[in-house]
Amino acid sequence: MPYIGNSPAEKYASFAVQHFTTSATTGYTLDHAVANENDIRLVINNVIQQPGSGKAYVASGTTLTLSAATSGTDTMYCVFLGKAVQTVVPPESSITGAMLSDTVISGQSALGAEPADTDEFLVSDAGVLKRVDYSYIKSSVVNRPNAQPIFINGDMAVAQRGTSATGKTTSDIYTCDRMGLVTDSIGTYTVAQEAQTSGNAFANGFANAWRLDCTTADASPGASDQLEMQYTFEGQDLQVFKKGTANAEKYTLAFWVKSNKTGTGNIQLKDKDNSNRQCTQSYTISVANTWEHKVCVFGADTTGAMDDDNAKSLIINWWLGSGTDYSSGTANHGVWEAQDNTKVNAGGTLNINDNTANDWSITGIQLEVGEYTSSTLPPFQHESYGDNLQRCRRYCNLHMNTDQNGGPFLNQCFAYTSSNWNSSVNLTPPMRAVPTVTSVSGTNYYVIFSNGGTINYNQIDFNDATLSGGVCNVVDLHLDGASGGTAGHAGKTRGNSTGAGTMLLMDAEL
Amino acid sequence: MFEGCIIKYKKSPDTGKVNQISVMYPEDENGGKLHLSVPLDENNRHYQDIQKWVADGNTIQEAD
Repeated sequence: MPYIGNSPAEKYASFAVQHFTTSATTGYTLDHAVANENDIRLVINNVIQQPGSGKAYVASGTTLTLSAATSGTDTMYCVFLGKAVQTVVPPESSITGAMLSDTVISGQSALGAEPADTDEFLVSDAGVLKRVDYSYIKSSVVNRPNAQPIFINGDMAVAQRGTSATGKTTSDIYTCDRMGLVTDSIGTYTVAQEAQTSGNAFANGFANAWRLDCTTADASPGASDQLEMQYTFEGQDLQVFKKGTANAEKYTLAFWVKSNKTGTGNIQLKDKDNSNRQCTQSYTISVANTWEHKVCVFGADTTGAMDDDNAKSLIINWWLGSGTDYSSGTANHGVWEAQDNTKVNAGGTLNINDNTANDWSITGIQLEVGEYTSSTLPPFQHESYGDNLQRCRRYCNLHMNTDQNGGPFLNQCFAYTSSNWNSSVNLTPPMRAVPTVTSVSGTNYYVIFSNGGTINYNQIDFNDATLSGGVCNVVDLHLDGASGGTAGHAGKTRGNSTGAGTMLLMDAEL
Repeated sequence: MFEGCIIKYKKSPDTGKVNQISVMYPEDENGGKLHLSVPLDENNRHYQDIQKWVADGNTIQEAD
């Protein structure tokens, strides 16, 4: 017999019968789902039962309910009158959109989490239905909770204090802004802002690095000796980590690093607001003299909130060498704990201090809220040099820096008395705190032009400043050693031709 | 810390009262001396360093 369309899968079908094992119950389960009790003929003890509510039985789905309980001696079977007995496979490409129920998606179980990368979706690829892994379609945009990089000058582009500082045996910030050297009786160093022209870091957009070179080695440091690169944060800039709350976030610290030495380096987070609680992590330099990218995750800390103010709250120390006071313990990486100095450089093997051939460089530092891996880490937030400089100047404001032959004018000035010349500097942007006024002092290193003549002086001192709105907007200066002129006269001042390396720098670092 | 430095209080020429701590470093190769004029502000890092230096048994010279 010819058919229009698909041939039936089963050309002959018999009615299905189900025999029940009876017991003292009214409820039974059918082998096949039915629309209602009329789809089956139920026979008990060879007597056909009347279907329907209020009659002998009702059925729905696979549930059969009798109006009275059977007993274990009863015989019972049913004949499926309305059961579908054939299976039809639709021909290829015969299912159209109209055949799909509106609930074809909403009727399914919901996935309660982000799909795995290998979970698949259906897409129309130029009209052709295809499957695609979630990894290809998930968003690559990371919605950071912070608008700007939390870590300032991570690309080491800004170096207001100069590009090289030699012979350093004491702690301070040299060259790259915000990057501190901590050194205590453990050799002598050159700190440089190192220009990059090749290598993996350069290829990833970093043209500068902070570099440390050992120039006098100390291969046997005393127990309390230490060598680190250090970065500090204001507490008010870290509230996004929700430290000390049940919602505390993890910290992901990523950076490019290079050294002539291979080995294990340690990093310490130190919470100054909470009795120096600490969390450490390590990284490995695998190949000498090669830029490598490292991603280190530090745990979330539900203990100890950071102060919401402009003072030092969190310190990051990259340990580069130390005595046993800092390495005799057992590291507990990734976990916040009470201060224990013996753990902070435990297992560290870099020891940049042990040979004058040693160097260590770093750049591309980023601190992210939450946990990331090398494959999920959001990209480094490159800022313009101007934006970066503005953020650095909250902490360090180099107002004048010149050599012997004079340079940019410092500012206008005036004679409060004939021997008391003052000037002031408007700080742009306002600084974190009342700054230290740093100058190079020497006889006649600076000059005032006033009333058709010149007045030499020796150094520039802090005179007065206060915070307004939580920041320092202006600092009043005393031009120390300026004598002569007339009270009330104005002038302009700058470095003098006799002064070598004259400068004026305001420092409000943490 | 502050090795070879002369550290002394200094008065404001305006008020005649001490308003800062002067830290004069040793002479450099050019004949100049790095000079820090440190405000008496507990949130200033140099002021904090000087307090540690004092805690180590050192003394700030009186102002002229």
